[in-house]
Amino acid sequence: MILPFFVIIPLGTAFLISLFGKRIKNLSDLLANLGTLSLLIFSLYSIPQVFVHKILVYKVGGWIPPIGICMVLDGLTSFMLVTVNLVSFLVTLYSVNYMERYTDKHRFYTLFMLMLAGMNGIIITGDLFNLFVFLEIASIASYALVAFGTEAEELEASFKYAVMGSVASSFILLGIALLYSYTSTLNMADISLSLSGKPAGMMVSFVAVLFLAGFGLKTALVPFHAWLPDAHPSAPAPISAMLSGVFIKTLGIYALCRVFFNILTVSSRLLFVLIVLGMISMVVGAFLAIAQTDIKRMFAYSSISQIGYIIFALGIGTPLAILGGLFHLFNHAVFKSLLFLNSGAIEYSTHTRNLNRLGGLSRSLPVTGYTSLLGSMAISGIPPLGGFWSKLIIIIAAIQAGYFVSSVVAILISILTLAYYLKFLKFTFFGKINEARQNIREAPGLMKLSMILLGIICVISGLLIAPLFKPFLQSAVNVLLLGNGYKEAVFGALR
Amino acid sequence: MIQYFYPWLKLDNLNSFVVLAIGLFSVLTIIYSLGFMNPVRNTESAKALVSNGVKGRRGLIQYYAYIILTAAISIGAVLSNNLILLLVFWGFLGLTLYLLINMGDDASSIAKKTFIIVGGSDALMLLGIGIIYYLTGTLKMDSIKLEFNNGLTVLAYLCIAVACFAKAGAMPFHSWIPDCAKHAPVPVVAYLPASLDKLLGIYLLARISLDLFVMNEALNIFLMLIGAFTIIAAVMMALVQHNMKRLLGYHAVSQVGYMVLGIGTGNPIGIAGGIFHMLNNSIYKQDLFLISGNVEKKIGTTDLDKLGGLAKTMPLTYISALIASLSISGVPPFNGFVSKWMVYQGLINNLQLTTYRLRLASVLCLVAAMFGSGLTLASFMKLIHATFLGQSKDSRPKESSDVSWTMWLPCLILAIICVIFGVFAYEVPLKYFILPAVKGVTFIGTWYAGLSTLLVIIGLVLGLLIFKLKGLRPTMRQDTAFVGGEAIDLKQDRVTGTEFYNTIKELRVLGAIYKRAEAGLFDIYEQGKNIVFGIGKSLQYLHNGVLPTYLVWMLLGMMGLFMVLLL
Repeated sequence: MILPFFVIIPLGTAFLISLFGKRIKNLSDLLANLGTLSLLIFSLYSIPQVFVHKILVYKVGGWIPPIGICMVLDGLTSFMLVTVNLVSFLVTLYSVNYMERYTDKHRFYTLFMLMLAGMNGIIITGDLFNLFVFLEIASIASYALVAFGTEAEELEASFKYAVMGSVASSFILLGIALLYSYTSTLNMADISLSLSGKPAGMMVSFVAVLFLAGFGLKTALVPFHAWLPDAHPSAPAPISAMLSGVFIKTLGIYALCRVFFNILTVSSRLLFVLIVLGMISMVVGAFLAIAQTDIKRMFAYSSISQIGYIIFALGIGTPLAILGGLFHLFNHAVFKSLLFLNSGAIEYSTHTRNLNRLGGLSRSLPVTGYTSLLGSMAISGIPPLGGFWSKLIIIIAAIQAGYFVSSVVAILISILTLAYYLKFLKFTFFGKINEARQNIREAPGLMKLSMILLGIICVISGLLIAPLFKPFLQSAVNVLLLGNGYKEAVFGALR
Repeated sequence: MIQYFYPWLKLDNLNSFVVLAIGLFSVLTIIYSLGFMNPVRNTESAKALVSNGVKGRRGLIQYYAYIILTAAISIGAVLSNNLILLLVFWGFLGLTLYLLINMGDDASSIAKKTFIIVGGSDALMLLGIGIIYYLTGTLKMDSIKLEFNNGLTVLAYLCIAVACFAKAGAMPFHSWIPDCAKHAPVPVVAYLPASLDKLLGIYLLARISLDLFVMNEALNIFLMLIGAFTIIAAVMMALVQHNMKRLLGYHAVSQVGYMVLGIGTGNPIGIAGGIFHMLNNSIYKQDLFLISGNVEKKIGTTDLDKLGGLAKTMPLTYISALIASLSISGVPPFNGFVSKWMVYQGLINNLQLTTYRLRLASVLCLVAAMFGSGLTLASFMKLIHATFLGQSKDSRPKESSDVSWTMWLPCLILAIICVIFGVFAYEVPLKYFILPAVKGVTFIGTWYAGLSTLLVIIGLVLGLLIFKLKGLRPTMRQDTAFVGGEAIDLKQDRVTGTEFYNTIKELRVLGAIYKRAEAGLFDIYEQGKNIVFGIGKSLQYLHNGVLPTYLVWMLLGMMGLFMVLLL
């Protein structure tokens, strides 16, 4: 049974690093990379497991689920695990060189591994309160990581993030408490079973609002997004990549999907709310991104906008739209982490993130330049890169479902997306080079390697909808389409 | 061979000659680039290549790779019979265009502008394709036939038409072409905006208008008006340009008008004329841009004020330029005349049988097209005079060596094609390329190309004889220069030709329009930018960085959610 390892490995690594990391040189690098690599291998191994068994349930401590805690491995879980651990491995690879700029590298890795443990825990758990615990582990680790630079800007961002994150957490906790009082259980499948026997009342809708606001803040949906444009740019680049790439998707989108699709039943009104929130996010995020002059801030707003696309697609709710949404989630994880890593490489070489002070870097930073080009083109939906296919599916699904106005808006926003990424490319890599930066050097090998790998994934990720790889994505979609059937699946696997 | 790829790819009468033309232009561009991009000679463009981070050899390898890639992708786009496949090829072309323009000096902002317009229109095309799929349930282009019976179909058509307009450069999506013509490397301009993008854009417009949709009167009028407006507005801008490449860029926009107009007429002869004009235009327009490249390579500038008297130093380039200019101005017996005449016939056809509205639009467009043709001739008189005739600014050493053969040969080949396509229009291009693609073309006027060519030649020979026989030299007299009643500044002791049409600019109404046009008022990109940044600014005002404000939003958001989900 591989499931517990997804939590045990990062927790254990965090422990070991904090114990020995300071004394033995390079140990923390090695341990962190080994940890994330093994997690990546485990998560890839989970794919065939899902194909064979459909669903696997692990009883923690051998207790039978409604009483004990269980961990569930199904299509969605394995999809999210692959996404998260792929990105986190490449990010730790990148951190080896990048984090030399900071002191206390081992603390960084400790916090990083704790955050990863929290994220993996959220994905695999089958228990609602357990989900909250892991969510808090991940969040608190991320508050600390945002403040890692300990300059005024970072501390301010971290403070805002912590306050808003705590408000969201308390909403989620309140929601869980209300559900517990209503159904007398905390197991997700059991809650679902218990709810299906009761008439749909105001209680469930009230809880839905609490969850929507709580997880919506973790997802950074407008109007709950205000912490993100401060927090993501302030963190060190690898952490920005993690936060924008996978963190908001795990704590936000995955949790939202699990709670709303599999535990509470989705009503058409709820889907409508998701569509509206998604639309607002994509519009507001894009308009704000284009006005930025700080690279990372621009990417942060762009994340809000792209998350809007994913939520919009999930809100449409048809099988094709959910496929498009999850596909876009994967793509966005890849290219947004690539772009944040690029911004880190630019900062590493030039010591600035201000677009107005850069320019003409493609000559001195060829690897960063080309991978940035790939990432930017992928996120703007230029064929044949990955982002194009997911956007295509989302638009086609929206039109098929009859959302014409929304699809027109989504298209217009994608033009805007192209515009601000071209702005980024123009001001950093093309144009006149600043004389003072004639002789800058590119980032060291491991940073380049990790950017190149992510760039390659950007190019080939379109293959995920090719017949050979589609079952991987489709099995994740099927879990969401299952809806209320989740409880039968879980209880069936227990028997 | 190609039928094995059916239904993904399909070769038919409409796209076969386009593929041929793409092949021809690619080969000529590559031959030309061998001379032009040669980094040994220290030209502006070669320097630009180096300064833009693509050091010498590596830059060249990239350049040729992009050119060949572009050719392959364009052929793929033309052949594809699946809408998604078409979109993939089409969208990727925007990226290669962007990368190629970026190789120019100081071209990064225009590359960005180009890609935003072209890539943005590709996004609209995606929307159009989505709607077509929704309406028909298929993506196979040869099994789609949509009638305009609801708003969605019109939206789908317009979305794809916008992509065609942006690619080809019809108004109001034209604004990238003149800037691009000035800043991008010349072979790139000659290759992409001047020829390949025209072929692709108009090919797709023809494809959707002929095959995918059943056109109706309103949309035909819409196309015709867009075409007529493009012709007039762009040629008016071209008249007052001072840079050769920018002037050609505006003509590249103006000529698109004829093609759109031809396709908009909705009858076979007009459509055939539009498609034939697309082919002709890409030939002479590529020729003209390559010529501007020759001039740039030789003199180092394309500013018309600084040129002059090049006919003697660059005879072969001059001959090509003359032929291409006469072709673009629609002077018989060159190819531009034949296709323009076919477009006019299409418009005249509309006058005879159709409804009142269509007739009115046709008259309007006919007048505009003919007037535009005249203005084209006028602006090319200026160009030929300022570049090749007249006196040079400073007395350079009169070495009568043209540029290297790799550069004049493509120009000459294209000029010869212009002549062949004009004189033997019915025997060669129309018979093999155009008429099989458009069914049921009937010519209303007759035009004996061979006979009239003969007459033109006889006339020229007679004139020459009279000139020689009379022996003008003894009675030659000197007088002040007369240039169409314009006041000429003779301080420089030469007529540069750039101020030929200054009067137009000085007219009160037109002057105001010109001023606004230069300021970007009619540029959809500039206007879009203003709107976007306006909205962005107001949103930024809301993000003041104060934590309590953010918490208030969150609360307001929750209240909204409660309202929606609980009431």
